[in-house]
Amino acid sequence: MLELRLVQGSLLKKVLEAIKDLVNDANFDCSSTGFSLQAMDSSHVALVALLLRSEGFEHYRCDRNISMGMNLNNMSKMLKCAGNDDIITIKADDGSDTVTFMFESPTQDKIADFEMKLMDIDSEHLGIPEAEYHAIVRMPSSEFARICKDLSSIGDTVVISVSKEGVKFSTRGDIGTANIVCRQNTTVDKPEEATVIEMNEPVSLTFALRYMNSFTKATPLSSSVTISLSNELPVVVEYKIAEMGYIRFYLAPKIEEDEDETKPQV
Amino acid sequence: MGIKGLTKLLADNAPKAMKEQKFESFFGRKIAIDASMSIYQFLIVVGRSGAEMLTNEAGEVTSHLQGMFSRTIRLLESGLKPVYVFDGKPPDLKKQELSKRFTKRADASEDLAEAMESGNKEDIEKFSKRTVKVTKQHNDDCKRLLRLMGVPVVEAPSEAEAQCASLCKSGKVYAVASEDMDSLTFGAPRFLRHLMDPSSRKIPVMEFEVAKVLEELNLTMDQFIDLCILSGCDYCDSIRGIGGLTALKLIRQHSSIENILENINKERYQIPDDWPYQEARRLFKEPLVFKEEEQLEIKWTAPDEEGLITFLVNENGFNSDRVTKAIEKIKAAKNKSSQGRLESFFKPAANPSAPAPTKRKESKCVLRTFKPAIQHKMSSVHLFNWSRPMVNGNLSLPIIDLASKHSVPLSRGVSFGA
Repeated sequence: MLELRLVQGSLLKKVLEAIKDLVNDANFDCSSTGFSLQAMDSSHVALVALLLRSEGFEHYRCDRNISMGMNLNNMSKMLKCAGNDDIITIKADDGSDTVTFMFESPTQDKIADFEMKLMDIDSEHLGIPEAEYHAIVRMPSSEFARICKDLSSIGDTVVISVSKEGVKFSTRGDIGTANIVCRQNTTVDKPEEATVIEMNEPVSLTFALRYMNSFTKATPLSSSVTISLSNELPVVVEYKIAEMGYIRFYLAPKIEEDEDETKPQV
Repeated sequence: MGIKGLTKLLADNAPKAMKEQKFESFFGRKIAIDASMSIYQFLIVVGRSGAEMLTNEAGEVTSHLQGMFSRTIRLLESGLKPVYVFDGKPPDLKKQELSKRFTKRADASEDLAEAMESGNKEDIEKFSKRTVKVTKQHNDDCKRLLRLMGVPVVEAPSEAEAQCASLCKSGKVYAVASEDMDSLTFGAPRFLRHLMDPSSRKIPVMEFEVAKVLEELNLTMDQFIDLCILSGCDYCDSIRGIGGLTALKLIRQHSSIENILENINKERYQIPDDWPYQEARRLFKEPLVFKEEEQLEIKWTAPDEEGLITFLVNENGFNSDRVTKAIEKIKAAKNKSSQGRLESFFKPAANPSAPAPTKRKESKCVLRTFKPAIQHKMSSVHLFNWSRPMVNGNLSLPIIDLASKHSVPLSRGVSFGA
């Protein structure tokens, strides 16, 4: 038996909007500690990890761990039927092949039940090792979204480099080049408007803008975004979900073609 | 061609072994392609209507060049690294099959002539397809073209599929692309179908994994080979009345052709008198291929622009603008840095999600214990406890020590943050 009641229903709607373009089908895993998801895009370049801790739900009941395979597009279709201030409850019976989303209007005068078929998804689960990052940039999420959008009108890849000067986003395309530098800025009214750069070592990595743009769909979830970079690792773009958890996107960097020194194929 | 009815048999009995993939998702992968099969496809598909073929001024067919050129560029543009493998001398056992094909083609030629006389368009279409034959000239043209394009060519000592499978087994390529299901029987770990189909047809690439095939069918590789021989392969006849499904049943019951022969009802099934199934099996298990150490190094090089123009434009009447543009595309594709994959950084961990609905009931999720652990670690330890000293101390030595002390012994699943 599973019953998760989320007062701030719009949050779940936003989560779905953030990931449904990246991943088609995914398993939502429920345990006593929280509601989580890990999924890769079809080409295995990007990964999304979502966690909504049980404490963030008004009511959280999960008798045993269950994993529910859902088509995210269909799930999003159903969640779109919920009002923005509706309370959403996710329900599933043990062994059932459906999940129910219940939407209650804030005044309790309307209750809608949407039942969705679950699916079996054979997905690979990656163990994400503990890592220390060479540089961690925290900046307003809208600013990051703007940068990615602007750069993608010029080129398809972005080079993100962090140095003493700040963090630089640059691209190059047929029509020319673009460079955007953001400096550390903590003298702001609200803490979420700050740009904080913590650098341990300078880094410079290249990424496909297509994916970055898809990550920025999570912007409505959080006013700031944290970008963690290491020269040998995929970048982590994290949006914190207030009092509940986070949504993290991992993206494998582009690798300069070294003369046929390809790594063993996995 | 290939193994009779194997695709359907697998679709029905081992659906998990087949995965639809997007063409683009193979970027950066080295793929061995069965060239003869592709050339054959090009001859049928590219620029042919009825008995008319795409030709150069001298009247020589150029469909295969056009097809090979544009399709290979499409592969390169998507970041794939194709290796074309050409057939060598066919094994003796295949001669029978080949002579059968030869007669069929001869029949078709006659039928075609008849159809042309009567002007029946459908028939012309049907029979002219059947008369298509890949000649040595076609093969040589394509080899020359590919070398000029900087794409590696391997000339197999015998069957191309076998060589492809061996390249794949030794890890030189990621997968084998062919339309011929033989590749699985030769043990290619990963096998792709429809990779070379025209993009306009929008057919997703079908990926087969031999390990999963065996797992799903619950057979060993030897049994699978026997299954393929029983279903009907290029090397010997099959037993009348035994198709894929019966063959699967028999193999599951008796586990090898020898045992089946002992137990089968000989009245009902007529076993061919001269049935070289053992040799066929040997061909599948130990085909004539380059040994690993003999295998030439496979390298992708820059295209030879002048060579391509001479060959395609001057000798074969291709449009020079188009060829120049295409060469630009090849060069652009070469310069692109390749996209990394997450698997090269993160290793697959035990899958927490229960795959089948039956399992969903008692869904025990092994990973549950460790997943939150990692998640806590990453956020709390890293971003918070950690980041401060990094900034302030501007990387003083003790901090680095702390880092290595913590991160090194930490294999996944161990939590210190939580």
